[in-house]
Amino acid sequence: MKTGHVGRSVPRLDALDKVTGSALYGFDIELPGMFYGATLRSPCSHAKIIHVDISEAIKAPGVRAVITGKDFPFTFGGSIKDQPFLAIDKVRYIGEPVAAVAAETEAEAQDAVERIRVTYEDLPAVFDPREAAGEDAPLLHPDLGEYTRFGPYDVVPGTNICTIRRYKHGNVEKGFSDADEVFEDEFSAHSVSHSTIETHCAAARYEPVSGEFTIWSSNDRPHRAIRELANAVGIPINHIRLIVPYVGGSFGGKSTLVAEAIAIALARFTKGRPVKATFSREEELTATQSRVAAWMKIKTGVTKSGVLTARKAEVFWDNGAYASYAPGVALRGGLTVFGPYRIPNLELDSRLVYTNKMIAGAYRGYGTTQVTWACESQMDMIAHKLGLDPLEFRLGNGYVENDRYINGQVLRDVGLKETLEKASREIGWGSGRKRISASRFRGKGIATTIKGTVTPTESFCIIRLNNDASITLLMSSAEIGGGQKTVLAQIAADTIGVPIESISVQNPDTFVTPYDHAVASSRTTYHMGNAVRSASQQLREKILQVAATLLGLDCNRLSLAEGKVFEEGKGERMHLDALMSKRFGGKGGEILAEGYYTSAGSPLLAAYSGLEGMSSIFWMYGTHAAEVEVDVETGVVKVLKIAAAHDLGRAINPMTCEQQIEGAVVMGLSNTLFEEFILAGGRVLNDTLSDYKLATARDVPDIVPIIVETRHTEGPFGAKGLGEPAAAATAPAIANAIYEAVGVRIKDLPITPEKLLAALKRKKVAN
Amino acid sequence: MKRLKPFTYFEPASISEAIEILAERGNEAYALAGGTDLLVRMKRGEIRPSALVNIKGIRDLDQIRNEPGRGTHVGPLVTIAGIGNDLRLCSSHPVITEAARVLGSPSIRTMATLGGNIGRASPASDMAPALIVLGARVAIGGTAGKREQSVEDIFSGPGTLRIQAGELISSFFLPEIAPRSGAAYLKIGRREGMDCALVGVAVQITLGEKEKEAIDGRIALASVGPVPLRAARAEKVLFSGPLTEDRIKEVARVASDEADPIDDMRASAWYRREMVRVLSSRALQKALARAEGGKEG
Amino acid sequence: MTIAIDIKVNGEQYRVELEPQTTLLELLRDSLRLTGTKEGCGLGECGACVVLVQGRPVNSCLMLAADANGCDVVTIEGLTMNGALHPLQQSFVDEGAIQCGFCTPAMVLSAKALLDRNPEPVEEEIKEALSGVLCRCGSYNKIIRAVQSAAERTRQSV
Repeated sequence: MKTGHVGRSVPRLDALDKVTGSALYGFDIELPGMFYGATLRSPCSHAKIIHVDISEAIKAPGVRAVITGKDFPFTFGGSIKDQPFLAIDKVRYIGEPVAAVAAETEAEAQDAVERIRVTYEDLPAVFDPREAAGEDAPLLHPDLGEYTRFGPYDVVPGTNICTIRRYKHGNVEKGFSDADEVFEDEFSAHSVSHSTIETHCAAARYEPVSGEFTIWSSNDRPHRAIRELANAVGIPINHIRLIVPYVGGSFGGKSTLVAEAIAIALARFTKGRPVKATFSREEELTATQSRVAAWMKIKTGVTKSGVLTARKAEVFWDNGAYASYAPGVALRGGLTVFGPYRIPNLELDSRLVYTNKMIAGAYRGYGTTQVTWACESQMDMIAHKLGLDPLEFRLGNGYVENDRYINGQVLRDVGLKETLEKASREIGWGSGRKRISASRFRGKGIATTIKGTVTPTESFCIIRLNNDASITLLMSSAEIGGGQKTVLAQIAADTIGVPIESISVQNPDTFVTPYDHAVASSRTTYHMGNAVRSASQQLREKILQVAATLLGLDCNRLSLAEGKVFEEGKGERMHLDALMSKRFGGKGGEILAEGYYTSAGSPLLAAYSGLEGMSSIFWMYGTHAAEVEVDVETGVVKVLKIAAAHDLGRAINPMTCEQQIEGAVVMGLSNTLFEEFILAGGRVLNDTLSDYKLATARDVPDIVPIIVETRHTEGPFGAKGLGEPAAAATAPAIANAIYEAVGVRIKDLPITPEKLLAALKRKKVAN
Repeated sequence: MKRLKPFTYFEPASISEAIEILAERGNEAYALAGGTDLLVRMKRGEIRPSALVNIKGIRDLDQIRNEPGRGTHVGPLVTIAGIGNDLRLCSSHPVITEAARVLGSPSIRTMATLGGNIGRASPASDMAPALIVLGARVAIGGTAGKREQSVEDIFSGPGTLRIQAGELISSFFLPEIAPRSGAAYLKIGRREGMDCALVGVAVQITLGEKEKEAIDGRIALASVGPVPLRAARAEKVLFSGPLTEDRIKEVARVASDEADPIDDMRASAWYRREMVRVLSSRALQKALARAEGGKEG
Repeated sequence: MTIAIDIKVNGEQYRVELEPQTTLLELLRDSLRLTGTKEGCGLGECGACVVLVQGRPVNSCLMLAADANGCDVVTIEGLTMNGALHPLQQSFVDEGAIQCGFCTPAMVLSAKALLDRNPEPVEEEIKEALSGVLCRCGSYNKIIRAVQSAAERTRQSV
């Protein structure tokens, strides 16, 4: 079959809607008779709710409903069912929803919220996960042992330890004694905000007679969101419909019930009229989700010639007050602390701990970003101490084809070396530190990363060949900005044999578009791509069967390309619209195909006995090489260039791959240099974008995205994934470049000018 | 996002009308210029005006008028973008256009006004240090009539001016600058784009006959005290001899000492002091080079 | 209390009665149902609400609708003429400058304000013109290239 679209930078299908302003996002949803919701939030980090007085609020102009946790006493959770829609008897973080108002206008809802009075009784609070893991720490979830769990998460009841993962392979003590040098270092990766420009927003409608919910929301995993709701309130899934318009960015943040929780709870009380809840930027920065912060202790053994012998890692992950999707971070994300390296002896102790702060959940990279920070910083420290070139050190230990992953899975399509070579060549590796002026120095740094994808998961899709030969692709992969629609349409177009212009990709609607795990974990091109391919193949076969019958020919003599049926040796025989017309006549009809893909049971996942759960259906490799300029008088770091090479299997659409790489580099740079939550006793002080700083157009370096293709055997046209790895390698590449430039090592993110300047001064004093 | 609460709205046609309304309502009424500070404070719930007096309808408050031989009058409603793009000011008083061009973002600059910026009296104001080193004066109108004072003296505390309820800034005056003058405004933030000054330094000097010797000069600092700070002790060092590298360093050191920063969520006092030292030195070097280069101001 | 304002939006004249605390953004989105202009913070810190008033970029979330009385406003919906995309819109599509798209209207309008005044901007000038609009998807480099490409395209057609 002709592969006309795959591999080409086909213009994005959603571009026209977006550039003309006609794209409708969750933020734009407007429904007849709609009310507006506003939320009262806890000012206490940890407290009992003694009394909630809504009497003044209920009288306020325009108010239709005022509710508290007692009115909607359900809990939900993506991993562990621990989170109330509205706090019921206790609040566990500043910002936790305590009450909500539905009113005719947004202003009236906000006014009414101000009239609600709550009495709290303070409880001791804990903010550091290392402290919270201790025996005497105040307990956030005394009933932890009784919560329903939706995954193999080991909780430790009676403590704040939400998930504990221990892993051993070989004998690290022997590995350390075999080593010539042992390095022991501590690192920390801070919590950061997704800061999507579109805040969290959702509208919900509850039909009182049938007991059905309809929800419109910017959400990247609609089927899992409705499952959370179904599990929470005890209604069947076919009573919940979630419609996802365009999403103004997610990066993992729009993944569970956030604004949805407020809209859903209020809708229950507005007699069938919809309620919309839109979060303010302040709510975004204080009461949604953040990246899971991590404190990491890494001990690594190495021979003097630079061969890694052992690594032991202890990680404390900061959950915040509720689990959300963080357990998977501790369970899986932490494993990449070993990097893409052959290390014979391994040990990991990974603990996710509740603290009285904003919820930490899924964030682009899912734990890999944090541990890569530690791993790749230490790799450079080791290289420098041993007098080795950091690039050669990584090449020497890095995975190659047919190496085994830590659980025994055989690694195939390993593009690691190529990413290291290409990124380092592009940056001009080996030029060393340069002095530009009395106060400015330049240096280069490199960092590499490995990331898998959540395995196994399921993706389904349906393709409809309409009466006029136009095609509708029904699948639940939301367009969150990564070009999901376009890439999947390209796969469909080439597999079926039609021009891409004839394909329309609908937005997710859980009543119509079948199950998908999520747009997350860099999984969509691969998993939904395979489901689309499967459905496309089925559709193609059905079309050719019809053609064969209509033409009185053997099916094997026919092919489909560009929307036309061709006969071998004879050329074009029939257009697709003519085929449909002939097949169905004036009464009409359609041809339907379905596709399904799961990675479960794939032979690629085979591993040491009992450890198959650690395999990933594909592994992504990426290397970033950064050049920075440091002003040693101000501590300001200017990133001049980042060469970002990524092994993504196959670039279905090179342009969208570049978008992902560049975008994740900018996000990584912003996280590293500009962003941090400034906390005082659990309260986020910098709750506006003037003080929670994101990179602007003036802050971005020259970014060179480099695509490396290794053709995965089971991926659609050889594709793997890309969305996340580029977020991980940027931070350590920058830190390593800073080290080359000025000889200072920062181990705790973020790298702020003040922190760097203080370190430079200390170094000067020490010398 | 937060919605504004209702208020009574006035569009006076003259300054006297505006002043009358403001005087009558006292602290309950605010003058609305560009709105880029006022509306933010209202949405954050920091202030709750029952009345807004939109002064943008008043004629002639948005003019830039040069009085040859004396200086330039700048109306309070001249926008920051208007100042940044003004070719005359760029030539006659470049430090004010330099400051205007680094304030906020292009869209904020379109709306924000000089009067609003000074009226907000933020110690982090970019415009205040520039006006101070220019020796600028401000005319204030009120029910008791007009009065005039130097911009430097108008700030009484963070967010407060020496101005009564019912008074309105009616005009700024930038005295003409002597030949062989040079100035610079430098600021540092947490990122390159769209940032409030973590520290801002404005320097203006006028050279005399002897090489590198300043006969006039001023230094003003942003974000290192409760009000925009005039570094008077550092200025004394400016005049103590030729501006060699060492003297420049000394000026910067004294300015750093003179600064009175606090620790806050954006930076520590220590870092701010360091940045005063670094930026003062760099700004002074720039101002000197410009003065020597023969360009005005 | 309501006030009446006369405003031209995308070439069409409107008279709207509204309460004085209504912002220009609310007028556009709620009264005129032009949802192309977005809101990301309400405090003038993200730029998603940028529209052109008298050809100049403003944060419409911080501008009272009253201040747009008698003014000419252009939103993203006003750029397409007779179904044809403005060169900037075409360039954004061609250069891959759109990911989630939430900042796209504000970016396009900010670029238009620049090019209308300065048809041959250097890279620094483009970056400065865009510096007030945040893009979390990190499309900045492609957006800058799109602006350069549109400027080039316009230059060639003149």
